[in-house]
Amino acid sequence: MENIEQPCRKVASSGTEKSHFEDEALEVIWELAESGEVRLKDIVKEVGNEEGVIGMSKDGLIAVSEDKVAFTDNGRARARDITRRHRLAERLFVDVLDLKEFEEDACRLEHAISPEVEEAICTFLGHPPTCPHGKAIPRGNCCKLYIKKVRPLVQSLPDLEVGRSAKVVFINAPAMDRLASIGLVPGAEVKLLQKKPSYVLGIDETTVAIDEDIAKGIYVKP
Amino acid sequence: MHTHETEKAKAAAASGKYRRIALIGNPNVGKSVIFGLLTGKYATVSNYPGTTVEVAYGNAAIEGKKYLFVDTPGVNSLIPMSEDEKVTRDILLGERPSVVLQVGDAKNLKRTLLITIQLAEMGLPVILVLNMEDEAMDRGIIIAKDALKSMTGIEVIMTVAPEKKGLKELRAAISKGDYRTPLLNIKYNPHIEECIEKLLPLMPDAGISKRSLALMVVSGDESLRGWFNANMETSAIEQVEAVRAECILRMKQPVGMAISGDRLRRAEEIAEKVIKRVPGEGGSFSSFIGRLSMHPVWGIPLLLAVLFGFYEFVGVFGAGTLVDFLEETIFGKYLNPMFTKVVETLIPFALIRDMLVGQYGLITMALTYAIGIILPITTTFFIAFSILEDSGYLPRLAIMSDRVFNIMGLSGKAVLPMVLGLGCGTMAVMTTRILESRRDRAIAAFLLALAVPCSAQLGVILGMLAALSAKAMAIWIGSVLGVLLFSGFLASKIVPGERTEFFLEIPPIRKPALRNVAVKTASRAVWYLKEAVPLFMLGTFILFILDKLSILRVIERFASPVIVGVLGLPPKATEAFLIGFFRRDYGAAGLFAMSEKGLLTPEQSLVSLVTITLFIPCLAHLLMTIKEMGLRYALSTAAIIFSTAILAGGALNFALRFFSIAV
Ligand SMILES: Nc1nc2c(ncn2[C@@H]2O[C@H](COP(=O)(O)OP(=O)(O)OP(=O)(O)O)[C@@H](O)[C@H]2O)c(=O)[nH]1
Ligand SMILES: [Mg+2]
Repeated sequence: MENIEQPCRKVASSGTEKSHFEDEALEVIWELAESGEVRLKDIVKEVGNEEGVIGMSKDGLIAVSEDKVAFTDNGRARARDITRRHRLAERLFVDVLDLKEFEEDACRLEHAISPEVEEAICTFLGHPPTCPHGKAIPRGNCCKLYIKKVRPLVQSLPDLEVGRSAKVVFINAPAMDRLASIGLVPGAEVKLLQKKPSYVLGIDETTVAIDEDIAKGIYVKP
Repeated sequence: MHTHETEKAKAAAASGKYRRIALIGNPNVGKSVIFGLLTGKYATVSNYPGTTVEVAYGNAAIEGKKYLFVDTPGVNSLIPMSEDEKVTRDILLGERPSVVLQVGDAKNLKRTLLITIQLAEMGLPVILVLNMEDEAMDRGIIIAKDALKSMTGIEVIMTVAPEKKGLKELRAAISKGDYRTPLLNIKYNPHIEECIEKLLPLMPDAGISKRSLALMVVSGDESLRGWFNANMETSAIEQVEAVRAECILRMKQPVGMAISGDRLRRAEEIAEKVIKRVPGEGGSFSSFIGRLSMHPVWGIPLLLAVLFGFYEFVGVFGAGTLVDFLEETIFGKYLNPMFTKVVETLIPFALIRDMLVGQYGLITMALTYAIGIILPITTTFFIAFSILEDSGYLPRLAIMSDRVFNIMGLSGKAVLPMVLGLGCGTMAVMTTRILESRRDRAIAAFLLALAVPCSAQLGVILGMLAALSAKAMAIWIGSVLGVLLFSGFLASKIVPGERTEFFLEIPPIRKPALRNVAVKTASRAVWYLKEAVPLFMLGTFILFILDKLSILRVIERFASPVIVGVLGLPPKATEAFLIGFFRRDYGAAGLFAMSEKGLLTPEQSLVSLVTITLFIPCLAHLLMTIKEMGLRYALSTAAIIFSTAILAGGALNFALRFFSIAV
């Protein structure tokens, strides 16, 4: 996947609301900070509105000295949250919904979800460490709680260990009708019998062989 | 296969003397065994889903009344996902059976009820047969039959078909005649129900209820389209499309999934109430073998062992020992000299004498080939193959070979028709119905015709190769597999569409029943004789005529640039390829005879074998391909196959000479 995330900035420059603009700018700064020093002109190049950025330093979100910019504690916390929500949204769109065009919606969703929903998504995805572009997703409280439990709450069949049983949570695979006709639907209990040379599952008294394309789309809760 | 009888049975039924009873159920649950027991007519029984791919009719009298039974391909849902499932749905759509004998697997009650629910929605009376009670017991599954009866409102009978257990009760239930429709109606999501209401007045009359048709429509059943076009006004079809589109829009999840979800829940509810689980026992050895046979590591030595056993039995024993005995001793020493003597004393006309016992004699050539060479080979092949089929190994082979089939743009499921093609390609073309898309069928049927030799041919070829060397065997296998993989790869790139995902139910390993192996082999051998002998006769007769009219020489000269020039074979080999047009195995038998007489060098034998293996299969195969895939498809693939065979043979001939390889 390409390593660029442009569209949010377009939203930012056209955004009128102040907090919305701040969110986008904070996200940009977070991203710049990930790759080194943050300079005012780089931020302005991305978000376009110099006064707005200066205004943020007055509001105590960032500190500007000469052309260097740094977060205040307050600003860092907010930047972290918004970046986290954005990247979680991306993961959701890519992993679960299997969308190809997801950037713009991720930009919208990041403003829309509450901390509870954010935690739920994160847990659902198994506390993913990175976004689809490979950048780190800042850890949230829920991640710290589960930090020891490496196994995510929901995983697709290829990640399940052979010999384990698990409950199907959702299916986004080809051949859904055929799976349903043998009783393989959300809620069903499956046992993974082997992965190679093909996946073999047991459900009730039925044994069925599928290939990896289907297995990848079956998400289970061990 | 038994078209004549089938026509008779159908005609009798049409005259109203018979009650029609359709056997419907999930794949591989024992429908064909029960059909055979009820009607006394053998329908192929094997241990994998998709054995039956076309309907079979048979009649029986029970307590003085006459019935016409219909055996159908297994279905997992009455919304068909492949050709064979469509056959079954179409039977229900058109046949109006008096009662459906639904056969289910007792250990898989939930899936059985899923079908019962759909039959109930169709408004069809049902008798539920829960077969495989023995396996359910082994796994500690006990079904409260009476509770199930009262919950569904229909007759329920437990059976163990191969042991004929429960058959008396089944016959009694059929002759009692109190057929009831299951009381299993489901109320779906209000949006769906609303759409169904709107669809009901639009649905045409059929053998099944309008509600069930409407449900198929909203579930997105594409296979109904053709039937609708034939049975409905265009304006009505447009209205139906509009309602369907609306339904799809209103629902948050796919409509078909919502419907099958509700059905499953209902089935589960019932199953939970009537199933008692106790600790199971037994079957651990066969399940161990089952696991071994699909293991990524152990599966391979097991596969090799199976192949070796096959080779020893069919190649060495069948094509070697038995053929020697039948062809050389029985025919060569006794029958042919005897016939020759009889013919010579009885028939005064030299021409007719020649026709019967001459060089291209119907007896000395056609019968000797058919019965002396090919019959022992096919029989041993079918014995070994039936054992494999009945054990349940074949679907596991599909697991082992899925990756290889991916190269050819197919899924492992295609191994079933392909391996079946090693028995008889004509039957196998029909079995491609179990593949889910037209694209997959097209590729599989092409490869079947090109590079899968049938048992008769394979036996002859193995016999000849065994007489050459291990090196020749390796080159033959390499060339044929190479052509198979390469043309499969090309075909997958050329034929448009995506490969269907691999999805195949794996039956338990079962001990093959001697009786079924024997009956199945016998019925296949008889079928072979009926099909092959007339063609052998015809082919021989044509050779005879061509020879007498001296056209054979002309053809040989005409074909010589290809046969002698490209393939490097003696002109006489033309005959083998000529009769190969009738049957590939007959052509192979001709080569066999030539090499026995020392008319071919080992290298020539090898080249001719590779060419004839890849040659167009046989007349019957071609006719079946026309029936299943269409004339255009059949002719164009035949042309491709013909040229591929010559090209591959020529390339091998060139390579052998160029590198001066001796085999
Ligand atoms: N143990 C056991 N095996 C059975 C029983 N009934 C059938 N079988 C076996 O199950 C396998 C499938 O039987 P078939 O009659 O071919 O099944 P089918 O329903 O016609 O299958 P399709 O035509 O593929 O849909 C065979 O190997 C039978 O020997 C039974 O009651 N008990
Ligand atoms: Mg059958």
